[in-house]
Amino acid sequence: MSEMKKIKNLKEFSTSADRFEGANLLCPGCAHSIIVREVLNATNDDLVLAASTGCLEVCTAVYPYTSWDASWIHIGFENGSTAVAGAEAMYKALKTKGRLKQPDRNPKFVAFGGDGASYDIGFQWISGCMERNHDMMYVVLDNEVYANTGGQRSSSTPIGSSATTTPAGSISYGETRNKKDMMGIMAAHNIPYAAQVAPNKWKDMVKKIQKGFATEGAVFINAVSPCTTEWKFDPKDTMHLTDLATDSLVFPLYEVIDGHELNITYRPKEKDIVPVEEYLAAQGRFRHLFKDQYKYLIKEWQERVDANWAYLNRREEARV
Amino acid sequence: MANTGWDEFEIGAMLRTFEGEAGNIAGTLQEDRKYTENSSFSASVADWRIEKPIFAKDYCIDCQFCWIYCPDISIISRDKKMIGIDMDHCKGCGICVEVCPTNPKSLLMFPELADEETEIAQWPAKEKKEK
Ligand SMILES: Cc1ncc(C[n+]2csc(CCOP(=O)(O)OP(=O)(O)O)c2C)c(N)n1
Ligand code: SF4
Ligand code: SF4
Ligand code: SF4
Ligand SMILES: [Mg+2]
Repeated sequence: MSEMKKIKNLKEFSTSADRFEGANLLCPGCAHSIIVREVLNATNDDLVLAASTGCLEVCTAVYPYTSWDASWIHIGFENGSTAVAGAEAMYKALKTKGRLKQPDRNPKFVAFGGDGASYDIGFQWISGCMERNHDMMYVVLDNEVYANTGGQRSSSTPIGSSATTTPAGSISYGETRNKKDMMGIMAAHNIPYAAQVAPNKWKDMVKKIQKGFATEGAVFINAVSPCTTEWKFDPKDTMHLTDLATDSLVFPLYEVIDGHELNITYRPKEKDIVPVEEYLAAQGRFRHLFKDQYKYLIKEWQERVDANWAYLNRREEARV
Repeated sequence: MANTGWDEFEIGAMLRTFEGEAGNIAGTLQEDRKYTENSSFSASVADWRIEKPIFAKDYCIDCQFCWIYCPDISIISRDKKMIGIDMDHCKGCGICVEVCPTNPKSLLMFPELADEETEIAQWPAKEKKEK
């Protein structure tokens, strides 16, 4: 195994030479690229990357340009995971046969996909990769919507969010179904490592990514990616929104090892926990929830978040 | 090459993002890389901006928050110091200004046509913390 890149603090991290380039076409303030930078900069090893169709892919490979300084492939919406799994399987076979030209390099295999590509359309493909335990990392850029095609709901879209296919109005409060528990489903494959991350908590995130890279076998990462366009907030506020997401516990940060050992990795102090209402109020997609008619949903939101937090705490304690 | 249509290439043609050997990109800073015109690094999105960040070095504590949270790899940090902004790739989102912890901030947004020297010369004073 290659040596892990040393990242003691942010100053040290800032000496990284980015392998993801600017003048891509992501919106100003897009969190996708903040996440990608934290993942790629967590290692100096070679990278074999894939992206499923979605904002990240569409905006970073516009002919005749690429924003990727590493081997990178895009095939379709559903198969970023299997593209990388195929490369990893080939790499392993060549290694076994002693046919690698540079056997001492330790490439990392990473696939990126949006929530649409992951929670819905590429779901079975990711499940296959996890089940076969490929030595790869799958990263979801979870903005809870099909952003690149104009904001259709996905199975990651949470209750009460107004999406173009679940629009809020006088007879609807928007999405009626709750977000799919993708972390739970992926961990249930008994993969060696699954973690939820957020780019504002960069240290927690980079630690998990490095742990993932050091893990032999399949790694699943769910990264919260506030989308200025579809969540409807000012581009300058992307990190503020990410703070609200983690500190309201709407996006709790935790990891699951071997499918059962759950560790909460970020536990805001009681007094620092932000009411879910504040998280909702900061985003245009939830604006209608503040009308009298729908206010009961805010209370239900808080109850759901509290219940989920209690559940994670019980899981952590029980080690099952 | 940039003027060659996508359907004018031979099947299997390769577009390279670096000239010559590119064996250790992770260990090579941008200024030492030989980008080709096929890397988006060679392009500019400066015309996306309505506002731009200006950096007043005197107040900076080199915390690197702006470096890690800039989505567009436009904060130039070298040897653990923040040294400037890459104005070809900055989209003017304003995140760097929001996350800058100094008082006064070391980064502020100004209209695209503002003059850097003038603005730095009249940088706002330290804000009093409201109790
Ligand atoms: C099989 C298939 N269906 C639909 C599309 C159209 N399409 C392209 S990008 C996209 C949305 C992607 O959403 P998501 O995966 O959440 O990524 P995001 O853009 O939100 O980052 C859709 C529906 C496609 N390219 N391929
Ligand atoms: S629509 Fe959202 S996810 Fe897509 S590029 Fe814009 S901010 Fe990023
Ligand atoms: S305004 Fe946005 S793109 Fe420009 S340097 Fe600041 S964070 Fe980066
Ligand atoms: S965030 Fe502000 S203080 Fe920190 S390095 Fe950037 S400019 Fe300097
Ligand atoms: Mg999405």
